Amino acid sequence: MAETKEPAGPPVTLTEPIEMSKLDVKFREEIHSMPNGEELSACFACSTCTAACPIANIWKYKPHQLIRMILLGMRDEVLSSDEIWLCLTCFQCQERCPQKVRVTDIFFDCKNLAAEEGKIPANIIGLAKELLEKGQLYTVTADWEREDMGLEPEVPGLSVDALKNILKETRTNKIVDSGE
Amino acid sequence: MSNPVLVIGAGVAGMTAAVELADSGIKAILVERKETVGGNALDLYKAFPTDDCFYCFEGNRWRPGIRKCFYRSALIDQPNITLKMNSEIDEISGAPGQFKVKLTKGPEYIHPRKCTMCGLCLEKSKAFHLLSPQCQPQAVVFNPEKTDDGAKQAEEECPTKAINLNAQPVEETIQVSDIIIATGYHELQPINVDEYKYGKYPNIITQLELAKIIDPNSDSGGVLVRPSDGKPAKRVMMVQCVGSRDENYYPYCSKICCIFALKHASILTQERDDVRVSVVYMDIRTYERYERYYRRSRESGVEFLRGRVSLVQPREDDTLDITVYDSLLNKYLKFTVDLFVLSSALEPPEGMDKLIETLGIKSASGFVAAADPASEDEVVIGDHIYACGTALGPAEVPESVTQARAVVSKILQSRK
Ligand SMILES: Cc1cc2nc3c(=O)[nH]c(=O)nc-3n(C[C@H](O)[C@H](O)[C@H](O)COP(=O)(O)OP(=O)(O)OC[C@H]3O[C@@H](n4cnc5c(N)ncnc54)[C@H](O)[C@@H]3O)c2cc1C
Ligand code: SF4
Ligand code: SF4
Ligand code: SF4
Ligand code: SF4
Repeated sequence: MAETKEPAGPPVTLTEPIEMSKLDVKFREEIHSMPNGEELSACFACSTCTAACPIANIWKYKPHQLIRMILLGMRDEVLSSDEIWLCLTCFQCQERCPQKVRVTDIFFDCKNLAAEEGKIPANIIGLAKELLEKGQLYTVTADWEREDMGLEPEVPGLSVDALKNILKETRTNKIVDSGE
Repeated sequence: MSNPVLVIGAGVAGMTAAVELADSGIKAILVERKETVGGNALDLYKAFPTDDCFYCFEGNRWRPGIRKCFYRSALIDQPNITLKMNSEIDEISGAPGQFKVKLTKGPEYIHPRKCTMCGLCLEKSKAFHLLSPQCQPQAVVFNPEKTDDGAKQAEEECPTKAINLNAQPVEETIQVSDIIIATGYHELQPINVDEYKYGKYPNIITQLELAKIIDPNSDSGGVLVRPSDGKPAKRVMMVQCVGSRDENYYPYCSKICCIFALKHASILTQERDDVRVSVVYMDIRTYERYERYYRRSRESGVEFLRGRVSLVQPREDDTLDITVYDSLLNKYLKFTVDLFVLSSALEPPEGMDKLIETLGIKSASGFVAAADPASEDEVVIGDHIYACGTALGPAEVPESVTQARAVVSKILQSRK
């Protein structure tokens, strides 16, 4: 879309509209062509996803608004939003969406796109690092937890070395490298 | 050419078709699976678009009087109509124009013309009951599963000897020239739409269940009450598009649920004492003339919330805490209500798939579809096969009646 010419004279209203010609019209296509994006354009803005979400209450952009922003082409806002990372991936939105939009999965797609552009929150990089180094996110350090339940101190059969090796070859490693 | 016409389903559409064929001198066999005619419109109280009480046919001046009289005069006194109640179609064979139809007529425990509704049997045994004061035939019905000594006593003492507890089903085969499918719709029981918790708590009901509560003939005499304890309900929340426009249930819009929700909201706010109604919607679809219902209900104080329901939580006293996400405000709102009313989808009735398969006709979302979707003859669904009313998909009464008349006109033309 061609950028509209700056109008001459003072603005007619005091609102500051989003300049549509500055948005990325291809963003919609980009998400649409990803594995989970097929039903994206079926969204009819009912907001069921937001009604279903257990956490969106504290979000600046609610799930249905993020879907709307994708459809409108607000690529930067979506990919740099905190919300796509705050999502609990509980799938309640996706489960209830009457148009079968894969809301949660689309947020995964967004996270992947954001990651490729290096837009990853520091705490997520921290988690990736933890995963690389320890092969698990939550290490059972305190024996008493297992002891209290009458279990042996070590988790039986837990082998994190293989996992660590695999992770080194994955993008998780790249994320940590680029993050540092 | 003198073969009668078979009409399947005695709701508004089927009755109109049968009556108008009969009035034109064509014999009609009207087959109804239930024990009363009238279908879903039986206990609807006020009707859009005229706001007439469903009990009177103001708009039907050539056959005036109350609904009961209309049914009775049309179905009992019109010699060209043979009414088969409590009946199911078993098989349809033969060529168009001369269909052979096998059907089973359920046991006639109560003779429809002999019963005077004196009420004696109702006092003797729970096996007898009155479906609705509007029922037609005007007779009580009998449930064999509840047979007891009282029922046997009633059989002996019935002043008109209308009861026969040993009645048996009867099978018969009839030959008909044309078939009219007027099997109507069924209101979805939204048990599977689990976020609304229908079927789990007594004060969560559907619109058809609400219609029955506010009908003047109901147990409460039309007072809005909670099913849990029969106490007056003051705060009502309705939610639209339950199971409709939803790829997980029915993809289509049920077309009239916005209108009947607004009808109910208006009745409750205007005719009942301090009832407060909120309607949670994603779109309000009040096509053409019905927009005025929307305006009128806003004027009468109905609260409209654009958004969806987040959470339904029952309280000790059987009221319900409901959290709604208001997408216009971008805020979550919490309500406590006495009644939660679901505007549930209108779905094809039971057995529709079998009928469609037997007749080899087209289907659209489970309803009957026109033979040629591009033609204007939406009521023609096959060779000598027609459909009218909600068998073709959700519709209001005027549309159902218009379609029934279109079918009659088609049949009259074909017999010229
Ligand atoms: C809550 C609510 C409120 C409404 N309010 C209004 C209103 O105010 N105004 C208005 O115009 N419309 C209203 N409607 C719509 C109205 O109910 C329908 O338009 C009308 O009842 C359709 O009539 P019908 O004859 O097509 O179908 P139905 O009423 O469904 O009748 C079909 C009949 O066929 C029988 N049947 C089905 N299958 C078979 C079979 N295989 N063999 C034999 N018999 C069979 C059924 O038992 C039934 O008696 C309302 C609907 C609802 C749910
Ligand atoms: S629930 Fe589905 S259709 Fe509704 S707003 Fe969310 S993504 Fe769109
Ligand atoms: S998956 Fe994410 S966006 Fe969807 S309901 Fe759960 S937390 Fe909310
Ligand atoms: S006793 Fe006989 S006449 Fe009286 S209501 Fe019962 S069946 Fe009808
Ligand atoms: S008529 Fe209204 S409530 Fe019914 S499905 Fe359509 S939009 Fe939803």
